[in-house]
Amino acid sequence: MNSKKKRRELSRRQFLGRSAAGVTALGFSSTLLNTLLLHTGCKTGAQATDLIVPEDVLKKAVELLMAKGADFGEVFAERSAFDTLMSDDRKINTTTLIEKGVGVRGVKEGKTFYAYTASFEPDEIYKTAQFVADAAAQGIVGETALIVDMARQTSDLSFPIVPHPDETAADKKIEMVQGLTERAWSADERVNQVSQYFQEIMRQINIATSSGKIINQLVGRTLFYALTYMKDKDGNLQMGMDSRGAYAGMDFFTGENSFEVVVDKSVERAKKLLSAIDSPRGMFPVVLGPGGTGVLFHESCGHGMEADLVFKGSNYKDQIGKQTAAKGVTLIDDGTLPELAGSFAFDDEGTPSQRTVLVNDGIQENYLCDLIWAAKLGIKSTGSGRRQSFRYPPIPRMRNTFIDGGDVPPEDIIANTKKGIYVAQTGGGGEVDVITGNFMMGVGEAYLIEDGKITSPIKGATLSGMGINAMKTIDLVGNDLVVFPGAGMCGKGQSVPTGFGMPTIRVRGIMVGGPGEAWDDVEGGAK
Amino acid sequence: MKQKKEYMDLTQYAVDQAMKAGADAADAFVTDSQKVEIFSGNRSVESVNASSDAGVGIRILKDQKMIFASNNDLSKEAIKEMVTDLMKKVPFHTPDEFNVIYGKEFGVLEGDWSNYKDLLSYDPKITEVPVEDKIKKAVTLETSGLDHSPKIAGAMYVLYTDQATMAYLANSNGISGWYPTGYCGGYAQFSAADGDERQSGTQIQIGANYDDFDPVQVGKMAAEKAIQMLGAKPIKSCEVPMVVSPEIGVDLLTYIVGMLSADPVQKGKSLFAGKIGESVASGNISLIDDGKLKGGLATQPVDGEGVPRQTTPLIADGVLKNYLYDCYNAKKGETISTGNRMRGTYQSAGGIGNTNLYLKPGNVKPEEIIAGIKDGFYLSVAFGLHAGINNVTGDFSLPVAGFKIANGQMTFPIRGVTIGGNLFDFLKSVDRIGDDLTWVQSTGCPTFSVESIKIGGVCLLRRPSHHQPPMC
Repeated sequence: MNSKKKRRELSRRQFLGRSAAGVTALGFSSTLLNTLLLHTGCKTGAQATDLIVPEDVLKKAVELLMAKGADFGEVFAERSAFDTLMSDDRKINTTTLIEKGVGVRGVKEGKTFYAYTASFEPDEIYKTAQFVADAAAQGIVGETALIVDMARQTSDLSFPIVPHPDETAADKKIEMVQGLTERAWSADERVNQVSQYFQEIMRQINIATSSGKIINQLVGRTLFYALTYMKDKDGNLQMGMDSRGAYAGMDFFTGENSFEVVVDKSVERAKKLLSAIDSPRGMFPVVLGPGGTGVLFHESCGHGMEADLVFKGSNYKDQIGKQTAAKGVTLIDDGTLPELAGSFAFDDEGTPSQRTVLVNDGIQENYLCDLIWAAKLGIKSTGSGRRQSFRYPPIPRMRNTFIDGGDVPPEDIIANTKKGIYVAQTGGGGEVDVITGNFMMGVGEAYLIEDGKITSPIKGATLSGMGINAMKTIDLVGNDLVVFPGAGMCGKGQSVPTGFGMPTIRVRGIMVGGPGEAWDDVEGGAK
Repeated sequence: MKQKKEYMDLTQYAVDQAMKAGADAADAFVTDSQKVEIFSGNRSVESVNASSDAGVGIRILKDQKMIFASNNDLSKEAIKEMVTDLMKKVPFHTPDEFNVIYGKEFGVLEGDWSNYKDLLSYDPKITEVPVEDKIKKAVTLETSGLDHSPKIAGAMYVLYTDQATMAYLANSNGISGWYPTGYCGGYAQFSAADGDERQSGTQIQIGANYDDFDPVQVGKMAAEKAIQMLGAKPIKSCEVPMVVSPEIGVDLLTYIVGMLSADPVQKGKSLFAGKIGESVASGNISLIDDGKLKGGLATQPVDGEGVPRQTTPLIADGVLKNYLYDCYNAKKGETISTGNRMRGTYQSAGGIGNTNLYLKPGNVKPEEIIAGIKDGFYLSVAFGLHAGINNVTGDFSLPVAGFKIANGQMTFPIRGVTIGGNLFDFLKSVDRIGDDLTWVQSTGCPTFSVESIKIGGVCLLRRPSHHQPPMC
């Protein structure tokens, strides 16, 4: 940790000690968070010490689960607190969600059997384990009770949450968001509504696997969203948005990631949209700026590389060793990056997190696997088995997905594009049909490129096309890689935090939708 | 699944604790759910997740300040702790004179809510049928699609799902009651293949009654949709009349109704604000939210605050009539709640949402609408609506698929085009509405057509060449 961060932390504590005596211990869900704090010594990642459920109970539950012939499985115990602070219409409200439970999974011949209980009582946990064991047995009675040797797992990865949410008093957080709300309101006389959203999440997770692993990790996240609405004299209404999210505490939000920068950016985007012209439509060069725009390839390509979907016939099936992207394009999914929302020390079935190269210099190298689908495809788990909570079995998911940096200065990419658009921010999320590879992605902030220069802001653009085509028609890769600490969540029946990134790139094979004029026969557009 | 008296008592206990701790008013909401999710793959069960869940959500009003928390620990100690925590934090909230716990001002439903059989959407069979039976439904859903045609190459997502929930509500103004809700159904996605070409087709059916779910039919429909798209190609940019399938109509209605919620309207986030009594759609459009619709999937006796459910005309013959309200927004707008506080589980304090929402059907057959079009587009697949519709401005641009209409006939499939426009203009250009009101979950829409839509077309992609100069 650098000394600058340490100083900040100290001064914050001193400040709290002086000015807020009497409420310093008042976090949002103080009871649970205090418990977590005490029990874990405020460490996160794999270093948390005390288990939620005692080791002998976990061990016995795993033995019951495996007693009737399941191939493998695990017990997943969790307690979590979600504290949300919303500012809307200049009013502050908070909500607190506290959850706990134990999920038990048994896998037999590739089939998953899952159940959970909200109780930490050993008998309830055993009953749940027996229920799953019976379901997985499917009439087959196992011969011997399995004795599993349990060993606590450690990791070199650590994701400190500084300060711990409890160290900043609730009234201070409210005051902070009130200030940020007023910052947006006073930025421009056309502002007609401001909505902001600040969330702190703490989850302590215990996993006991049939292979004998015991894992205890604390996963935390801090999120901030700012939405600014502006209305001009003619009644035009636009909304600008920006957000950050990190596997870190409030100290993360400094510099380019400060709350103020997020608010100012949301104002600036709303302002630009009010003066924006309608986006042109058609097939022409699209330059994507660095950072969160990488969500485009998460959506259009990453999902098709998740092992369960590959196995069932996504458009990436049977592509290992084949060219799925232009030469020079490398796509990576990395769960080990500090501070990013898609990182963790161990995945939700106990496999250590890792950096997985999916596409290497244009060639498909790997898929994202959990234990079940790795076995079905005859490859290794990539540590990609993730779940939303104790209520769900793990499935293959992305972590932080990004296109690796190339060697072209970003200025050159724009200067060498005669006519096209520049997308600085995607928006509104996206969708993919993994069978056809058809994808769709909304656009938040974008501009025209005319004669090698970024000119008018545009509105109403959407990006769509085929994932593999988009990757194959990337013709320039910038040297300015940014893996963006966004507040993104990815839904696939279950919702998990994911990170995105990329350098500035240029793509030719993406279709731009928009309310503006049709651009046909643009130089460099795919025909 | 049975009603549990202890949960009814628990809501009252939570309210009493809040009042004892000094709250001005409070409500407590307990939900107790059983859920089954079964995925089928490779003609066999792939995953079974059978679970039950219960928890409590508590809202406290103190000095015009409102606060909410939830917990899945239903012990009295946990509830006491929650109340103590909430009372500590509530002073920091912003006072808002419109914050309110429902006080019977918009009527009450007397007696036991669960006795209003016509106001329930619940089939006890959902929790009585053994899981093995549901596994069979999931596998049948998959096999019926796979066996539908040799052109079917595989199944992607095949899912059976159901849920039964008992909801218990009590507040400090004497509102108290419980009711059951439930749903069951399935979703299927298949791929069809012809050489290297792959097309996909999906179908969903979610209803209230277990026996109404027909996995054979749903599987076949999903498979057929994939086959129909084989050979799809893009068309050139044009402006032509468009016929919208009921399924896509339903998707569009859910975005429109979001802008008709009083919350964004009052906060200046909706362009429907200030337009009551004005023409906002073509004269044949009537949009109704009916919280009491017999057999409707979203039908319940009361809303999430205990206000009796109502029938609310939102747009009548093209004229904007009303917005959807809960108690807070009703007080703010000096009007009555329309009973639209939606509160799905204990985890949420809820917000305004639609109940059974539908576009009133017309009296022409959908085939007649198509027959009247010389050159047009039939819209059957729209992609990424959440990203492609700006719910502030109504502007939309969506990648879509469908069919070419030529001389009154549906002809070849189309993919790789976009449609663009503005939802407000779109509503005004609806010219014909079919008689085939079709429900997808709790939203209903018939086939309808619009006079003209901008289609962004494209030429076929050339194979990427590596000899191309790197710069344009």
